[in-house]
Amino acid sequence: MALTETAAPVASVAGRSLRQVVWSRIRHDKVAMTCLVILILLYLIAIFAPLICNLIGVDPYTFDGATISDSGGAPIGDWGGISRAHPLGVEWGTGRDILAQLLYGLRISLLIATSATIITVFLGTVIGIVSGYAGGRTDAVIGRSMDLILAFPFLLIILALSGVLTQRLSSLGVPEGNPSRILYMILVLSIFGWPYLARIVRGQVLSMREREYVEAAIAMGARTPRILFREILPNLWAPILVYATLTLPTYIATEAALSFLGIGVLPPDTSFGAMLANSVSYFSVVPSYLFIPGVVLVVLVVTFNLVGDAVRDALDPRSGRV
Amino acid sequence: MSAYVVRRVLSMLLLLLLLSLVVFILFSILPTDPARLTCGKACTPEIIEANRHRLGLDLPVMQQYWEFLKGLFVGRTYAANSPDPINCSAPCLGYSFRRREEVLILIKDGLPTTIWLALGAFVFWMVAGISLGVYAAIRRGTWRDKTVMSVSLVGYSLPSFFIGLLAIFFIIIKWNLLPYPSWVPPQENPIGFLQTMILPWIILAILYAAFYMRLTRNQMLEVLGEDYIRTARAKGLPERTVIGKHALRAGLTPIVTAAGLDLAGLLGGAIIIESLFSLPGIGSLAISSVNDSDLPVIVGITLVTATFIIVANLIVDLLYAAIDPRVRLG
Amino acid sequence: MGMAKKGAGVVVIGAAAALVLSACGGGSSSSSSSGGGSEAKAGGTLYYLTNLEQFDQVDPQRIYTGEDLAFFSGTIYRTLTSYKFSADPTEGTSVVPDLATDTGTATNGAKTWAFTIRDGATFQDGNPITCADVAYGVSRTFATDVITGGPTYAISMLDIPDDPAGGSAYKGPYVGTGQDLFDKAVTCSADNKTITFNLKRPVPDFNYTTTLLAFSPVPKAADTGEKYGDAPVSSGPYMIQENKNGKGGKMVLVRNPKWSAASDDYRPALPDSWEVDYGIDPKVIDQRLIKSAGPDATAIDLSVEPENLAVVYSNPNEAQPQFNGRAVSALDPYVRYFAINTQKVPNLKIRQAIAVALDREALRKNAGGDFSGDYADGVIKPNMGADYAPTGMWDTLLGQKIPDTGDPEYAKKLIAESGEAAPTITFDYPQSPTADKAAAIVVSSLGKAGITAKPNPIEPGSYYGVVFDPKKAHELINAGWGPDWPNASTIIPELFTPSGGFNLSQYDNAEYTAASDAAKIETDRAKQAKMWQDLNTQAMKDVVVVPTRFGRTQRMAGTQVNQSQVYLWPAYGSWPYGAMSAN
Repeated sequence: MALTETAAPVASVAGRSLRQVVWSRIRHDKVAMTCLVILILLYLIAIFAPLICNLIGVDPYTFDGATISDSGGAPIGDWGGISRAHPLGVEWGTGRDILAQLLYGLRISLLIATSATIITVFLGTVIGIVSGYAGGRTDAVIGRSMDLILAFPFLLIILALSGVLTQRLSSLGVPEGNPSRILYMILVLSIFGWPYLARIVRGQVLSMREREYVEAAIAMGARTPRILFREILPNLWAPILVYATLTLPTYIATEAALSFLGIGVLPPDTSFGAMLANSVSYFSVVPSYLFIPGVVLVVLVVTFNLVGDAVRDALDPRSGRV
Repeated sequence: MSAYVVRRVLSMLLLLLLLSLVVFILFSILPTDPARLTCGKACTPEIIEANRHRLGLDLPVMQQYWEFLKGLFVGRTYAANSPDPINCSAPCLGYSFRRREEVLILIKDGLPTTIWLALGAFVFWMVAGISLGVYAAIRRGTWRDKTVMSVSLVGYSLPSFFIGLLAIFFIIIKWNLLPYPSWVPPQENPIGFLQTMILPWIILAILYAAFYMRLTRNQMLEVLGEDYIRTARAKGLPERTVIGKHALRAGLTPIVTAAGLDLAGLLGGAIIIESLFSLPGIGSLAISSVNDSDLPVIVGITLVTATFIIVANLIVDLLYAAIDPRVRLG
Repeated sequence: MGMAKKGAGVVVIGAAAALVLSACGGGSSSSSSSGGGSEAKAGGTLYYLTNLEQFDQVDPQRIYTGEDLAFFSGTIYRTLTSYKFSADPTEGTSVVPDLATDTGTATNGAKTWAFTIRDGATFQDGNPITCADVAYGVSRTFATDVITGGPTYAISMLDIPDDPAGGSAYKGPYVGTGQDLFDKAVTCSADNKTITFNLKRPVPDFNYTTTLLAFSPVPKAADTGEKYGDAPVSSGPYMIQENKNGKGGKMVLVRNPKWSAASDDYRPALPDSWEVDYGIDPKVIDQRLIKSAGPDATAIDLSVEPENLAVVYSNPNEAQPQFNGRAVSALDPYVRYFAINTQKVPNLKIRQAIAVALDREALRKNAGGDFSGDYADGVIKPNMGADYAPTGMWDTLLGQKIPDTGDPEYAKKLIAESGEAAPTITFDYPQSPTADKAAAIVVSSLGKAGITAKPNPIEPGSYYGVVFDPKKAHELINAGWGPDWPNASTIIPELFTPSGGFNLSQYDNAEYTAASDAAKIETDRAKQAKMWQDLNTQAMKDVVVVPTRFGRTQRMAGTQVNQSQVYLWPAYGSWPYGAMSAN
């Protein structure tokens, strides 16, 4: 269900270094700058979540039985028991603080999506370059594997294999429990994500191979790694950057969907998806259970997408929002 | 051309074979013991062993795979030596001991719902996506264009389960605009069918429409810059004709390609939407099979879904080849 | 071990068919007979709305879930004896004749039981039901490789020797090995009317056992083995017209034209048909029953979502006025507990520390507070009558009084006394959002005592498959159990002896097993009750399990369901399906 931008149009920018051009364009884009600031803030909040929770005086693991009713476990007070002690209310049945859960959830969400994006980019780039540069049989084998991976109903596969592969990770020495589960999410997202980027990179490499400066380098007897990393890779930054900024939000949404379906982190930890799944049983009475994590999730994804858009526009003014 | 077709079809069959093998190996390492699940309270190791044998689970993985492949073509009989064999006629995609039903029949039962869901959403997203995309391209640079593009950005940023829950909360619970979803086939109760499907259609469509809006807009912008469009305009053709007849048609191919693949993907079931709206399609079957560790069904759905996508890929490629002979050489 | 699936579908509580002997205190908030219901009328359709996508089993010998036993015995399967339809705890668990002319005759010190089949009872194909059909039905239980999931009392009680491998020497009707042994244990009179069961040991309440559908008749000619549940032959007032599993699927029961009311004074069989609608979202079920519009006026459900509790009930014992007479909240037959795997946690002090540290108050609140039941002090519920006596689990058994919120300091002290380091344990549970929160409570409350607990959520559908596997079960296992009939002989030996079918604790204490065996064959009921009480206390003292709740259940019926039959039937903790009707 995740839609991934398959082909990001990219222009080669001559003259000033790419970085300078992009940066100057983004700097003049108010929306993008605002989003960038928000994103940096969100990352800071995620990193320092425990500290912030301490300052506010909330904690995601403390059961506050006094805030919920003995009969049925509903939070006492409106909007899920919003109070000074619990600014966003408490969880039905346990009285755990929603704000603290949200901050810790943000941490896990960003950790998974960011790591998975980095791995995806790494895999996609390396495999794409190899495929495009080597050509022939290597290219064909890689091409078929990509077809294979892209044909899988990945949501179903990820769900069905989560139990066993998480255990396998533990048996390979990854600490049991959440470390294994988080690593599993990162790995499966990357495994099902890299082919899209690899295709783009491969296309770029194919076209670049034909260019004079590469042919010149080959003619001058440069060794393959040198050609790959000195001549080709620098010219791939643009599509990779665009792909990365647009993939990250997709991963955030996919991770939320997966934890919504029940394979996220283990209790007592929680995540956006788990909070939303939990809201289903209560939201006709306590709608804030639905709105709070939902809105934060949407803001997160929209912000990332806006930044991603801005980066793409900066790289290729033709395709953008003008 | 025919050589190309043969080559592509063969490679597709190979891919399918490879895929089934990968799926089989992936799932053979699952720790849940299907034999264990057939056994109730008075379970003894002997009974489990006997059942494992009945189900053919005591065979090596590769032999199980071979049995499975054979079953696809000639059918198979489970527990052949017991007094109580189970026949699964060809093409046998497996047998769910949990549901006591052939996997193929389970999938066939879910398919109509999933097809209705996919087709309805498809119509919505194509109409909305293309018309808004064209509109934005024509009004390029205006606030209208910006609005459409912002809407599309928000659209594809909204996780489907969140919009789904929002829709249920507001439209069904708070405002009572629609009854709770409860699937009925359209031939039985057309109104009930529409009432149930309208939200899933729209929600699924939002996600895709957002993407198609952008795709259409980019395509149009590219085409509108081409010389022949300028020529057409210069010739004084009405703008309507320029856009509708020339530009849109030229820019349509990649859109149709993407649409074909997306539709094929959806035929494999929309897990989240189907389970949110209690639609008895392939997606719901998939999720309940995961919850039940009903391995044969999971394997079956994976294969069928992957087949849809691979076949759609093939069709798209062949169509391309038919239109553009250069592809065949590539 | 049928799995009693609670409304939410994903919540699976393992438990057998069960009884509630007295809805102590709680009572049911439903109409008693005083409720303003109109006269029961024949006709109409009753709708049974469920979020499950199919019945666990439809094959009579394989059904083992309380709710399903009640539903199918009320509609399509007759048994020799049945439980009386009544909300009264004593009456509602008393045995009455059904397919038999009386409740059976015990001779030979209750080692031989004889039942005579009523005249005029027929299957849906018109053939008369004979002794041979009942005997054949019973014999199917022995085909343990085909007929799985059902109760196995026939195997453990009938006088058939074991084979060297430990199973019964009779291998069931399909294989036929040892058929002569079975034919000696279950005999038919010359007129094929009277069936006699010869038992291994005295079973004074064998006529309770025969209420199980495992003892219902099956015509040999129609038996299709593993697939019999797809097209079973009805012996009751209804028969299956259609059964399509899955979301959107339904089971339709229509009148069985061959059923003769004259041969069945047990079932009023008033509705013309039953329709079970599968796979409906629990929220949707709630809304439909709350509105009770159109056909939903004659619908029933099995649970009420937590968010709607306050809409329907003013407190756990009382419905809101507009739901009076059609909303039930009563103690169910099940005891919820955490089994402690005694093989992995052999040190008693550590087990005590776990029990002491658990915050049972938070667990109960999470499950719905007083709507979810009362604190439990053992595995026998107060509504089991004479078999129950307070165990003093939380007052004295653990050395001192333990508050409901747990006592982490005392738990630390127990760990120090154990001579072991503070343990790391894993908690197995069937995954659901609510269960995840319960797991969080387990982790945090044990953590306060220095015990590291790791949650291990398991897909609900394969839960019992996993935890019954000694290789896969961890230290702490979420479970629930209810008795098969009002005798703790269906609790204590099942839960705490090696041969028991639900011994999740893997408890193997020779002395305890011997005492349990002795209690099983004790024919003096009062003496036996005392023995069960002691065994219950003993198991708690040894902390084989940590009992958390004597469960309570909520459910609703539509406005046009006859209110005189809207109650929790003590026999199975279910609706009294066979007696229900539309207004």
